[in-house]
Amino acid sequence: MVERPDLTVELGRGLRLRSPVMVASGTFGYGFEAPQVDRAALGAIVSKGTTLRAREGNAPIRIAETPSGMLNAIGLQNPGVDHVARVYAPQWATWDLPVIVNVAGDSVEEYVAVARRLDGVAGVAALELNISCPNVQSGLQFGVDPAMAAEVTRAVRAATELPLIVKLTPNVTDIVAIARAVEDAGADAVSAINTYVGMSIDVRRRRPVVSRGSGGLSGPAIKPLALHAVWQVAAEVHIPVIGVGGIMTPNDALEFLLAGAAAVQLGTVNYIRPQAAAEIHDGIAGYMVQHGLAGIRGLQIRPTSVLTNV
Amino acid sequence: MGGAVELVVSHPPSAVAVAPGQFFQLAVNAPHTILRRPYSAAWSDSAGGRIGFIFNVVGAGSTWLAALGEGDELDLLGPLGRGFDLDGKRSAICVAGGLGVAVFPGVIQALVARGRTVTVLQGARTAAQLLPAARFAGAEVQVATDDGSAGQHGSVVDLLANLLSHREQFPPPFTGEGQGGGVDILTCGPTPMLTALIDAARRQEIPLSSIQVALETPMGCGVGTCLGCAAPRSAGGYLLTCQEGPCVRADRIEWDAMTDAFHG
Repeated sequence: MVERPDLTVELGRGLRLRSPVMVASGTFGYGFEAPQVDRAALGAIVSKGTTLRAREGNAPIRIAETPSGMLNAIGLQNPGVDHVARVYAPQWATWDLPVIVNVAGDSVEEYVAVARRLDGVAGVAALELNISCPNVQSGLQFGVDPAMAAEVTRAVRAATELPLIVKLTPNVTDIVAIARAVEDAGADAVSAINTYVGMSIDVRRRRPVVSRGSGGLSGPAIKPLALHAVWQVAAEVHIPVIGVGGIMTPNDALEFLLAGAAAVQLGTVNYIRPQAAAEIHDGIAGYMVQHGLAGIRGLQIRPTSVLTNV
Repeated sequence: MGGAVELVVSHPPSAVAVAPGQFFQLAVNAPHTILRRPYSAAWSDSAGGRIGFIFNVVGAGSTWLAALGEGDELDLLGPLGRGFDLDGKRSAICVAGGLGVAVFPGVIQALVARGRTVTVLQGARTAAQLLPAARFAGAEVQVATDDGSAGQHGSVVDLLANLLSHREQFPPPFTGEGQGGGVDILTCGPTPMLTALIDAARRQEIPLSSIQVALETPMGCGVGTCLGCAAPRSAGGYLLTCQEGPCVRADRIEWDAMTDAFHG
C-alpha cells in the first residue's frame, strides 16, 4: 500500500521538481501574477518567452475564443532578457519553486545570447527553448526542420550549464524526427507540444479575428492531438518528455503521464480555473495511491524505448 | 431594456471591494466555450452585498449567464482592473453608447455622492435599448437614438458636441485639468462612437486628459498573464486593458490604431 506517493520528477542535469505539475510558458507571466494559484502544487513555473531585447508584441486583436480552445498571437511581448536577469531572477532566487525561463529568438545568435545572459544567474533553474519562432534568415520556424532544431539546440547547449528543455512545435510532418534531433544535440528534456497554428475569420469585418491572421491554438480542442504527439515522442527518445496541450483536469494530466510524459504543463486552464493546478496535483497523488504506484514514472503504461508504430 | 439582461449576484466581499468601472471575470459553463467573460459591474450595493451586471445576450456565454436562475451559483473572479477616477469637483458628463451604458449606474451614483454635477448622455439604436433615466438618480439625463424613437434623432456624440458648444454652463476657463474649471468626461461605448467623441472633443479643444474611457477589448485571463487584451498606447507599444484599464485617460490611447484594430 502506497500511502505517500513520491511525486518528484527528474528532468535531467539535476533539475528535480517536487511535483509533475508545471505551468506552461505564456500562461503565467514571470510568476508574479495569478495569486490564486496554489504554488505548493507546482513543480516549476515556466516563464513567458524571453528574447534578447524587449518586444512590444503584436497589434490587437491578439486572442480569439474557438470551440473548446483559444487562438493567441501575442507576439512575444516581453521585457527582454536583461530585465529578467536583473529584476526578476533575484526574486525567484528567494522562492522555493524553480523558475524555468522560456527562451525565444529569431536567429541562433539571439538564442545563444539569451542563454549566455542567463547562465549562472541565481534564480534561473533551467531553460526551455521555444523553437517555434521563425528564423529571420530562412523564414522557416527553427522547430520544423530537424537540422535547424538541432543547430539551435547544440548552440545553446554549448552556451549554458543550465538544464535545457526544448519545446517542440506540432506543426511538422514528423515530430519524432525533431525530438530525436534535439535529443542528439544535447537537450535534457523535451516539452510536447507548443500550440497548433490555426485561424478564425470575422465574417462581419471580413478579416481574420487575430491581427496576425493566424494564431496558436490551445485548450481542450488540441488535447487528443497533443496526447498522441507525446505518445509517439515518448516511445522514441530517452530523455524525459513534458506533456502539454489542453490539460484541464486530473484525468487529462493522467492521460499524458500514462502516455509516457514525465511531467505536465498546464496552460490555458490557468486563465480560467487557477485552482486547477492543486486539483491536478492531488488527483495524480490520489490515483497513484489507488493504483499502488510509488513514483510518477510508474504511471506510464508502456516501457520507454519500446518502438511502436501507432 | 430590450434584449439586455441584468444579473444580480449576491457576494458581500465583492460588493464591498468593487470600485465603479472595475470588472469581474465570470466563468460560464456553456458547451464548447472556454474563457471567462469580462463584465464591468453596473452597480454594487455594499450594504446589501450585491453586484449587478447588465449585458446583451449575444453569444453562448451571455446566453448561459442569462439563463441562470435565483439561487444558482456563479464563479466570479474580481474585482479586477482600474475603475474611473471619480475625484475632483468639476462637472462630469457621462457619455454612453449602446450597452456601454452598463458601466454607468454605479459610476453616477458615486459621482452624485461626491456632490458633483452629473449629466448623462445616453445613445442607443432605438428607445427600447435605453436604460431608464431612473437608474441615474441625481443626474440630468439626455438621450439620443439612431431611429429617433426617443430623445434626439442621431448620435450621442451630437448631444455631447451640443452640450460642449454651450460652454457657459460650465465655469471658465474650461481648459481642463488643473485649471479648476471645465468638465470631466467619462465614456464607454463602441469604438466608432469613442473615436467620434475624441474628434468632437479635439474640435472643442477639450484636453483628452480630461476624458476617461472604459475600454472594451477581447480578454483572456483578466489578471495580466496572457497579454491578450492589448490596446495601442499613444506613447508607443500597448497597454493591457485588464491591468492599466479598463478605465484609462483618453490621451493614453492611440485612437487611429484603436479603430484599425477593433473596427477596421
